Amino acid sequence: MASRPAFTDSDTADEAVRATCDDATVCKRFATSKGYWRDLYIQYFARSVGERKAPEISRGYYARVKGVNNLLDAFIRKTECDCQVINLGAGLDTTFWRLKEENLLPRKYFEVDFPTVVARKIHNIKTKPPLSKPIIETHSTDSLLLDAHSLDSDRYCIIGADLRDISSLDEKLKKFQLNTELPTVFVSECVLVYMTPTHSSNLVCWASDTFHTAMFINYEQVNMSDRFGQVMIENLQHRHCTLAGVEVCQSLDSQKDRYLKTGWEHADALDMMTVYSMLPQEDVERIERLEFLDEKELLQQLLQHYSICWATKDKLNLGLVHLAF
Amino acid sequence: MAEGSNDAELLKEKANTYFKEKDYDNAIKYYTEALELNPSNAIYYSNRSLAYLRTECYGYALADATKALEIDKNYIKGYYRRATSNMALGKFKAALKDYETVVRVRPNDKDARMKYQECNKIVKQKAFERAIASDEIKKSVVDSLDIENMTIEDDYVGPKLDDGNVTLTFMKELMDWFKDQKKIHRKCAYQMFCQHENKLISKCSSSQSNKITICGDTHGQYYDLLNIFTLNGLPSETNPYLFNGDFVDRGSFSVEVILTLFGFKLLYPDNFHLLRGNHETDNMNQMYGFEGEVKAKYTAQMFQLFSEVFQWLPLAQCINNKVLVMHGGLFSEDGVTLEDIRKIDRNRQPPDSGPMCDLLWSDPQPQVQSISKRGVSCQFGPDVTERFLEQNNLDYIIRSHEVKTEGYEVTHSGKCITVFSAPNYCDQMGNKGAYIHLRGSDLKPEFHQFTAVPHPNVKPMAYANTLMQLGMM
Repeated sequence: MASRPAFTDSDTADEAVRATCDDATVCKRFATSKGYWRDLYIQYFARSVGERKAPEISRGYYARVKGVNNLLDAFIRKTECDCQVINLGAGLDTTFWRLKEENLLPRKYFEVDFPTVVARKIHNIKTKPPLSKPIIETHSTDSLLLDAHSLDSDRYCIIGADLRDISSLDEKLKKFQLNTELPTVFVSECVLVYMTPTHSSNLVCWASDTFHTAMFINYEQVNMSDRFGQVMIENLQHRHCTLAGVEVCQSLDSQKDRYLKTGWEHADALDMMTVYSMLPQEDVERIERLEFLDEKELLQQLLQHYSICWATKDKLNLGLVHLAF
Repeated sequence: MAEGSNDAELLKEKANTYFKEKDYDNAIKYYTEALELNPSNAIYYSNRSLAYLRTECYGYALADATKALEIDKNYIKGYYRRATSNMALGKFKAALKDYETVVRVRPNDKDARMKYQECNKIVKQKAFERAIASDEIKKSVVDSLDIENMTIEDDYVGPKLDDGNVTLTFMKELMDWFKDQKKIHRKCAYQMFCQHENKLISKCSSSQSNKITICGDTHGQYYDLLNIFTLNGLPSETNPYLFNGDFVDRGSFSVEVILTLFGFKLLYPDNFHLLRGNHETDNMNQMYGFEGEVKAKYTAQMFQLFSEVFQWLPLAQCINNKVLVMHGGLFSEDGVTLEDIRKIDRNRQPPDSGPMCDLLWSDPQPQVQSISKRGVSCQFGPDVTERFLEQNNLDYIIRSHEVKTEGYEVTHSGKCITVFSAPNYCDQMGNKGAYIHLRGSDLKPEFHQFTAVPHPNVKPMAYANTLMQLGMM
């Protein structure tokens, strides 16, 4: 393992990473209020709609949400819900509640994030019935297992952990009945990029070692060596946000390699410009009519610098390799 | 097949039941399932449209009603649904058309006739409101300002006009004041407005110069504007400038940019020119930050003033009778002449199409003409440029409107030049900015590039900007 950096430095960096959870939440809150997609639960994590976001940002989030959901839902359907979902760095994501509403719940839905983020989320869940009800409804007994940094129920579990500490992560998940025999899909959105290539490699390797039939869906930056990428890195630096894993975000190939080198059988990656063009175009046309975008180049640049990469391994021969856009 | 459609009918019945019970979410769910089994059933779309209307998802309701009519253009309920959706979306004219259709096909339908009449009333009312409103704004804002009796508080130590006039000293003080992120007193701003508007109304859209510097979009990037003046010298009688629109929006210092540009216009009216861009319009300002910024830094009335003055900005400028400059580009129709451009009644918000719209919105493209990627105006090919220049006895055009990595681009064999002066646009694009030197003697464009300079990290207040938005996180 690399030597530990000075305490204050790494803490500032971690704090900045935790803060990105708010960025995502407020952007999604704004976009959903405008009708880009439906999310009835995000209002319980971000009360007011807040400042207007530029249209290219909302369209970017639309592509992200639709793109990731496309693959995630396909996996759940392929396994006929007989699977697990593990959302790494989940933040204030509302997917569990969406899946419940759409009758697409896996056997168990796990979320992992830093303890302080998890504590916040648990507080919201506890105090908002629309969030707690679905969890209670799907739980067999009257009481949930609850402490400051974790909540466990039959179908939903959220754990505070550091994704860089694999053994601790493994222990915590198994404590809450993680079933290594079940097909499992991992989801991470702008998570791996914040840790060093070594750390992220260990994480995806652990995922591959632990599960024989699995998929890993990763959304984050790509094509970062050009000017736009450099400007993004500098801007984030100003916010103390270090893209420690940006090396892996060089290209679609480097994104795929990280999986192919750690025991995953197959990997695919697309930049978001491509994903955007492969989403159902009727709905894309609908959202493009929601807000007028004055400079398309801004959206293009944004979409070309983010990607979805998904990797599979398929001992049970479910045909996971066919899951695509 | 029959079985399938039977199942679909059952689902539809189920949905109808939910609908009657006012459980619209479930109604939608089951109509959707029915549609999955039988996707070419106009009734299912129409019913779901109504359910969407009840849940206020007007966009979806409209889409479903439209789909129903695509499947069966004789399905009268479809027109009803579409009209209702359009009414809810405030698109009264579109709704009226559909009501007209229903009334025509069912002349004895009292309900249809009533809805048509109501809608017609609203359409007429709105047209009337628009007519009197535009008159009101034209007269009331600038003319209603009682500037003489506005007082400047004693504790204001910022720049003031010299006996009501803009001077070079005032401009230098102004620029430094803005650089330190301070506000000038609104009386000064108002004084500048009134004078500026008068200047613009007595327009002159051509100039003879020995030399001139042409800048493209600046988009509220005040510190980059100051940098242009550092690199290229302050405006003066011997250092004329033309700024080709899009002075505001997106960047968070739009107010500083526009007041500085207005100030120089007043100081050097014959040697400092401003042309209108597509962002000098109400729609853009409402969405892209300028309106919010003005309201946050000053008042809503101040924004009304900007809106009014923007309407008087000229749409194009002809330099030495040979080079035409406009923000967007050329036209979707052939045969437009300089005289046609001069005759445009520009004191308004631009229409959705036509020469005024094209001047502000169109883009060049490498191949022959097609519809616009932007969804507004058009894209014009080298053939259009060639014909326009020939017909009007011009050498080439200079336009802006599109961000370019190098700050400028030469296309259409040198006949269409783009210049863009907002470097690292939106703090994201990493592009260079550029400006053009033109000498009266040969009118050959000389390009100068520059990169972005640092600026204060202003947190956006009520206004939209991507300054702190760093992408997806």
